[in-house]
Amino acid sequence: MIEVKYFGAVAEKTNCPTEKVPLGNLSLEQLLNDLDKKYQLNTLSFSIAINQKIVPKTTVYELKSNDIIALLPPFAGG
Amino acid sequence: MAASRYNRQVILPEVGEIGQQKLLKAKVLIIGAGGLASAILPYLVAAGVGEIGIVDDDVIELSNLHRQVIYKNDAVGKSKVLEAKRIATELNPTVKINAIPERLSGENALDLFEHYDIIVDATDNLSTKYLINDACCVVNKPLVYGSIYRFEGQVSVFNYKNGPTYRCLYPDENSQSLNCNDAGVIGISVGIIGMLQANEVIKMILGIGEVLSGKILVYNLLNNEQQKYDFEKKENVVIDKLAFEAKYKVIENQAEEITAKAILDKIDTDEVLFLDVRNSGELPEISFKNSIQIPLLNLEKEIEKLNKNQIIYVFCQSGIRSKTATELLNKNQFKNVKSIIGGALVLEQLLRKDTKVLRF
Repeated sequence: MIEVKYFGAVAEKTNCPTEKVPLGNLSLEQLLNDLDKKYQLNTLSFSIAINQKIVPKTTVYELKSNDIIALLPPFAGG
Repeated sequence: MAASRYNRQVILPEVGEIGQQKLLKAKVLIIGAGGLASAILPYLVAAGVGEIGIVDDDVIELSNLHRQVIYKNDAVGKSKVLEAKRIATELNPTVKINAIPERLSGENALDLFEHYDIIVDATDNLSTKYLINDACCVVNKPLVYGSIYRFEGQVSVFNYKNGPTYRCLYPDENSQSLNCNDAGVIGISVGIIGMLQANEVIKMILGIGEVLSGKILVYNLLNNEQQKYDFEKKENVVIDKLAFEAKYKVIENQAEEITAKAILDKIDTDEVLFLDVRNSGELPEISFKNSIQIPLLNLEKEIEKLNKNQIIYVFCQSGIRSKTATELLNKNQFKNVKSIIGGALVLEQLLRKDTKVLRF
């Protein structure tokens, strides 16, 4: 399993702050595509972190068991 | 006096007399005088930061008061920065407060930032955050960032000792996020994030602790979870002065205009270039030693005929196409382009009157 964390407007779309996703030869790109299909995230802008480190969205990465992926949108309020 | 005012922080080994002197010498600029600033300003003032600037052109509204807690009920309708200055001076009259009742723009940002050591983003919209970030990169000042989405907040420090910037974290400038007016917020969330920003400011001035450079702190006020994420500097997002001016100043200067009267003495000199964007054959025919004709439709294609640093006065028949041409040139990083109001028709009238120019 991997864990996906959601923040801000992304968490409102997914309706949960975090969820577990079964692994199974999943790349970061596939995960993002799956999440996009499930939650229609394409209208939102966000940065991606793998295990607490922000990486470019296009990073080629095979997810490993216990990885934590985070979707971090920019906030504007103040 | 000063010794007793700051005694409880001076006795901290991390502060001491030397630290208090550092605070006294520090100059901090806060952009935005809303909810974040309502937490940042009083604490920096109370701590004895020597000089604090605060920029905002807004007035206080009733719907601000639940989170912008430095403002009193009877201040509704007053300028935020003037009121903030009054409050700050009451809190600690030894601090110099500069109230700047302006909207931050590409025009004033660089000059404003130059004077200060640390810039604090207490604004409520993404486009201003990019502007602040880019201006900080140009003048090489660290930026303490904070922002809120409902019950979540983010804090980071950008451009600290040449560290990563806002663009390294959020490269997509076209992204959108609701501000407090649209998304809703309770005052405490904004206050906590503002306090974390003030804390980063104090740490940077004193040189203590670990500054949130290359890290973004995400704080969830509902479950009290805090997460820190690391991010790296991207070398391809460096902004220099030229790029800054092209991006911000020029866009705001779109289609700057000048009267025909003001430019008459530039005719037949080599100080400027007159650019006629009419089609050939349009009357009256106007040409000077220092004029060329490039019809508007061909301008983009033939743009390399022109020098980006040259002063260029653009005219057409009546002053409409020349405005379009001016915008086009500005977008292509031309620095000194103006459109002549009234175009060839007004120019011709003036030239007929001008006995020195016997061309008709």
